[in-house]
Amino acid sequence: MNGAAVVAAIRRPAETRWLPLAALWAVLLAVPLWLPLVGGYTALAGRVLVLGLAAIGFNLLLGFTGVMSFGHAAYFGLGAYGAGLTLRYLAASTPLAMLLGTLLGGVAGTLFGLLIARRRGVYFAMVTIAFGQVCYYIAYSWNDLTGGFDGLRGFRRAPIGLGPLVLDIAGDGPAFYYFLLGVFAAAVALMGLLLRSPLGHSFIAIRENERRARFLGIPVERHIWLSFSISCGFTALAGSLYALLNNFADPLGLHYSLSGEIVIMTVMGGMRTFWGPLLGAAVFVVLQDYISSMTTNWMSFIGLLFVVVVLFFPRGLLGFLPRRGAR
Amino acid sequence: MKAGKLSGVLRRRTILTAGVAIGALPIASPFILPARGETPVKLGWVDPLTGILSALAQSEVEGARYAVAEVNGKGGILGRPVELLVEDSANDVGTGVQKTRKLIDRDQVDAIFGDVNSGIAYAMSQVTNEKKVFHIVPGGHTDPITGADCKWNVFRICNTTSMDAAAITPELVKTFGKKWFFITPDYAYGHTLQDAFVKNLKKAGGSYDGDMLPINTSDFSATLIKAKGYGPNVLLNNMGGLAQINCMKQFTQFGLGKDMGLGGALFEIESIKGVPKDAQTGWWVMEWWWNQPGVPHVADFVAAFRKGAGKTPSARHWFGYAGIHSVRLAAERAKSLAGPKLAAAMEDLELPPDVALQPGKVRYRAGDHELMSNVFVGQVHPPKGDADDVFATAALVPGEAAAGPVAETGCKMSHPA
Repeated sequence: MNGAAVVAAIRRPAETRWLPLAALWAVLLAVPLWLPLVGGYTALAGRVLVLGLAAIGFNLLLGFTGVMSFGHAAYFGLGAYGAGLTLRYLAASTPLAMLLGTLLGGVAGTLFGLLIARRRGVYFAMVTIAFGQVCYYIAYSWNDLTGGFDGLRGFRRAPIGLGPLVLDIAGDGPAFYYFLLGVFAAAVALMGLLLRSPLGHSFIAIRENERRARFLGIPVERHIWLSFSISCGFTALAGSLYALLNNFADPLGLHYSLSGEIVIMTVMGGMRTFWGPLLGAAVFVVLQDYISSMTTNWMSFIGLLFVVVVLFFPRGLLGFLPRRGAR
Repeated sequence: MKAGKLSGVLRRRTILTAGVAIGALPIASPFILPARGETPVKLGWVDPLTGILSALAQSEVEGARYAVAEVNGKGGILGRPVELLVEDSANDVGTGVQKTRKLIDRDQVDAIFGDVNSGIAYAMSQVTNEKKVFHIVPGGHTDPITGADCKWNVFRICNTTSMDAAAITPELVKTFGKKWFFITPDYAYGHTLQDAFVKNLKKAGGSYDGDMLPINTSDFSATLIKAKGYGPNVLLNNMGGLAQINCMKQFTQFGLGKDMGLGGALFEIESIKGVPKDAQTGWWVMEWWWNQPGVPHVADFVAAFRKGAGKTPSARHWFGYAGIHSVRLAAERAKSLAGPKLAAAMEDLELPPDVALQPGKVRYRAGDHELMSNVFVGQVHPPKGDADDVFATAALVPGEAAAGPVAETGCKMSHPA
């Protein structure tokens, strides 16, 4: 999508801008009511939110800065291990686990970003894959700390005490879903604000024309590094939520195949739209859940869908709508 | 945009949407069917139907399906039909955990079975325990599942790695010697199996070397060169499924058969049939064997199974078969399908001869929830006559003898209040 379309999408009348957003939040808030009726279960919606957050975080880099990373699972997995290790070895505190998980993934991304901000295109993508695989093999081989292939077990999310109130998210009820939704909303609001800030605009400028952005005086390398770090931070937050959702963390959360899935979700949903990755994650997770019960070849169906989307909806499922409105 | 064009777009989109909706119908409809008169008993089965352990997993599921058909033919469980829901764990722990949660949350199954992969089985037991769902591990061998980490809701059919190692070590030492080389997969199963072997070998005064390799390893050349350099009496190939087959193929390609013997714990019929003749050798353990002359019901079962499924039942088939029947037996004893009641009824439940299909008293030991089945120790050989006649049983080690007392397993069973 070109810049004009983005501007047009943002400058639509207030009513049409808010209506879809209100509808989206109404649907998300009512999940525990309607999902069981259509054969779903609340934990599935939790996975959609978590992977959607990871994909939206990733899209900050791919869709809004125009830089391709194939190793975002590394930060997702580091977030998960950070949270899991905190709960298991340090303290039974959910907020601390989320904080340390996010920090672990975010800081790793920030440091690694320093090294690679000057790389472009396929070189950037390849180095990110390599770093992801380094993390994967460390988690795989370090049996004593991470549990190796068997994954990190033996921790559980703990209820959160807010003064006299206790938020009991340890059970299976909708409480944990609403907790996820709250964190998701806060993270998404932060990213939305960021994209509306001058920094966010400079990301888009880099995406649209890197050379021009450089001539305008934007420090391109530093901004790509910032975008990468922020993106890794949000993906790590999603990872820490994933560990809480499953009470479990495993090396496949760091593997490049998950990085690929995050890319598929983002591209399928629409990488030039803010909410596209959430839609992509929803489609991916729900299809994976249903089709994998029926056939072991479920990945073929996802692949087929991906091909269909790329061929017929190159802007992704959601990217298709604003284009029509903008014409 | 002109109105005519716009409506054209809309029409196309309507058709597209309708197409997607119709396409989605078969996916969505099974879940909104109203309850029928007789609610089925739902049994959830998680196994690695894809990946290197797929052959073993498919055998377990075939055995289970065979048993479900048999049970349904005789009136089901507590008069209700049985429905088996199979999920693929893709030999990945995270996926296995997710599928277990899905079976419990969405399908609300009455019991969970799985997994061939010890690491997955172990992780699943944490989930089923958290959700208080009755869980049988048909074929995941790592010790802590019925040892240090035993749980009131988890039972196991296959042996522990310690049982297998204890049963085979004397034969390996006697036949080959005390200098061993291990090729072991780097996950729960491999860790406990090698530890158990080392413990038994040290008691016999032996020495060893070895490599821990990723579970999906396909190239063993570096390790085999290392093994040749070490010059052991026997090479213990502890890998599973396809990895074990690949290791055996490279072992014969390297011509190591004349330098060292082969042996170890599990070399299952699914794998034996996949390796070259030169590697169809050595002393190994079977956890159930189809050819048991003179043992009641076994020949009938094998004949019926061959007729029904078109193949000779393996130990994995029997795990699946015994698993489904165990739930039936426990439910009949408890007159309920509630997790805690089923678990209580399973304790010290003795399998009748037509389910046990082997001599002796085969029961789920109450102390650690491990099935006390016999360990078949013997020699693998190339097929003789019958294509599936690849193993000669030399001795039956009773489960109790191989497992040792409950106190040694480290299990401290605690039941819910």
